[in-house]
Amino acid sequence: MTPPQPKLFFSGLAWRGGSCLTVLLVLFLFFQPGKIHADEPGGTNLVDWVAQATNHLGQWIWETNAFDKQTVRLWRAFEIPAGAKVTNATMHITVDNGYTLFLDGKEIGRGSDWRTVSEYDITQLLGPGRHVLAVEGFNDRLEGGLIFGLQVQSANRAVAEIKSDGSWWVTPQTGRTWAAKIQANGSHPAKVIGPMHSHPWEVWPYGLARVPPLSPVMVHFWQRGWVQLTLLLICTGAVVFCSWLLTQLSAQVKAQKFLQVERARIARDIHDDLGAQLTQLLLLGEVAQREQPEDSPARGQFTQICAGARELAQAMDEVVWAVNSRRDTVRDFTTYVCKYAQIFLSATNLRCRLDVESEMPVTTFDLPVRRNLFLAVKEALNNAAKHSQADELYLRIFRRERRLSVIVEDNGRGFDPTQAGAGRNGLTNMTQRMDEIGGTCEVSSQPGGGCLVIFTVPLATGRRGWFRRATANDENAGRIETSEIRS
Amino acid sequence: MKSPVIPAIVARPAVKVVLVEDKPGVRESWVKLINSLPGFSCVQTCASGEDALRVIPSVNPDVVLMDIFLPRMSGIECTARLKLQLPKIQILILTAVEDDELVFMALEAGADGYLLKRTTPEDLKAAMLDVLGGGAPMTSEIARRVVESFRRAAKQPKLDVRLSAREEEVLILLSKGYSNKEIAHQLAIGAETVGSHLKHIYEKMHVRSRAEAVARYMTGKA
Repeated sequence: MTPPQPKLFFSGLAWRGGSCLTVLLVLFLFFQPGKIHADEPGGTNLVDWVAQATNHLGQWIWETNAFDKQTVRLWRAFEIPAGAKVTNATMHITVDNGYTLFLDGKEIGRGSDWRTVSEYDITQLLGPGRHVLAVEGFNDRLEGGLIFGLQVQSANRAVAEIKSDGSWWVTPQTGRTWAAKIQANGSHPAKVIGPMHSHPWEVWPYGLARVPPLSPVMVHFWQRGWVQLTLLLICTGAVVFCSWLLTQLSAQVKAQKFLQVERARIARDIHDDLGAQLTQLLLLGEVAQREQPEDSPARGQFTQICAGARELAQAMDEVVWAVNSRRDTVRDFTTYVCKYAQIFLSATNLRCRLDVESEMPVTTFDLPVRRNLFLAVKEALNNAAKHSQADELYLRIFRRERRLSVIVEDNGRGFDPTQAGAGRNGLTNMTQRMDEIGGTCEVSSQPGGGCLVIFTVPLATGRRGWFRRATANDENAGRIETSEIRS
Repeated sequence: MKSPVIPAIVARPAVKVVLVEDKPGVRESWVKLINSLPGFSCVQTCASGEDALRVIPSVNPDVVLMDIFLPRMSGIECTARLKLQLPKIQILILTAVEDDELVFMALEAGADGYLLKRTTPEDLKAAMLDVLGGGAPMTSEIARRVVESFRRAAKQPKLDVRLSAREEEVLILLSKGYSNKEIAHQLAIGAETVGSHLKHIYEKMHVRSRAEAVARYMTGKA
């Protein structure tokens, strides 16, 4: 009956204000949850309860021999008939000195104040079928005993009672999960000591403590062990997979970066070594040519050498452009195509007109895309120069909704697209090239109405955009390059 | 390209050319080539930008041929510094690869034109005569960049150098691939006027870049 000693509890904490301590003490004493004592205001119905208790409760039972510090495990099975609907099931129990109560192997309550009977409402726990009540009782010293009563009321007003009596069993099983594995084998009947108020419990129990109604613990499927294990496995798998992916990704990024650096290096090497040598040869050739007399045959040969070297230098420029990763931008592509068109068409009767979007961005334009697009445009220019008989050609380049369009338009004699048979390899080539890079190629023409070729390719959107922005800031790109080449 | 002033040149003493080129072999060939052109004489060669800055003011040449990649100080930086000292000097940038980025930077820094190293001696001669005669070669790509750069600069109040409407017109036609002659025809002006417009555009670029150049190159951290 003595409540825990709050003073002891609080003494450890260095409370300075005594009043504070008092308030807490009072609070502690008044709010003992869920207990009704005979000597407290809530316990006025003591007499009624004691009168009823004799009916509710069975007899004191225990193991044959009682001794100090003894743990006894008692149990009893009962059956709720199929189809019976339990409307009320109330259980009263106390054990001198304490107990742990199990229903069907699951713990549903504990008690340590043996002078108070605990009342459990287990209506919701009792479905039809076999049930096992199990009590692990603990006796501190001298006599030990369990007194118990369960009233089950069903929908048809029938009342079944289970009380502590000689029908209970004592099991020698031990271990934490004994209540879940009770066996009739090895159990022996409990010994009946006497009815309520028999010696040595003449005046006890004298109080009642109500436990709030118990409801079955809903075990959702995700709370089951195997589900959780599976989830854990899936999570672990996902983490492992993600980290593997990340590793792959970083390896790929590294490889890509390496490739870019290598391409830039190769471009620089070609440019620096081959280019410089070639220029030197070309100059030597020019000088040598001039040192020859006007009419000597060697002079003509030197002229040929020089022309060859010039063509070589031009071809080398194209290779350097294609290889150099620094040229992987839409702006560089535009510049290059325009320049190519002008140089190429300057040798023909076609006047080249450019209509190019100003302020082309430094958006990434990967090698396969720009190379294929360039070759397709080259094909289109070639066709125009060879077949169109036009005198003016428009090269238009602009962006539209994350796509880049290159349009080659001439004012030549045109052709009938339905008549353009297999002979026009150029058209198939262009379409194939555009297919390779996910672009489209539209050719429209009619006899006498010129020819219009529209190439459209998707532009990379943001991918690596932020990454490149730092390095390819359009203002500084060239400057960085100069300083690198210089150093 | 035509060379309308040849008779005058022939009458005058040879055009004095200074070559800035770091590779000895290439340098020799260039000298021979320049000297082989009638009316031109390579009076001095410099192996580095620093050399050029020291020597050129005393030589006072008509044309400087400047390699773009020089050890330490780049040809572009050297051009900017030279133009600060001698605004009247004509500088042609020599480049192995046609890189618009670099060419545009050189033009901004004050170069009066550029030449590919693999150019024919005839074109070299024509280009030198062109800059001496007040012309200014410009490709459509460079023209587009010039327009862009002036439009961008217009947003910065500090550098208040603007193109006239006619100058912008010329540039835009140029960027569309029209030749100087075609532009002259379209705008109903003389071909020489187109040339002088281009020259003015270059000068405006130089004026603008000079302020920048002072900051960029003269603080010594470039």
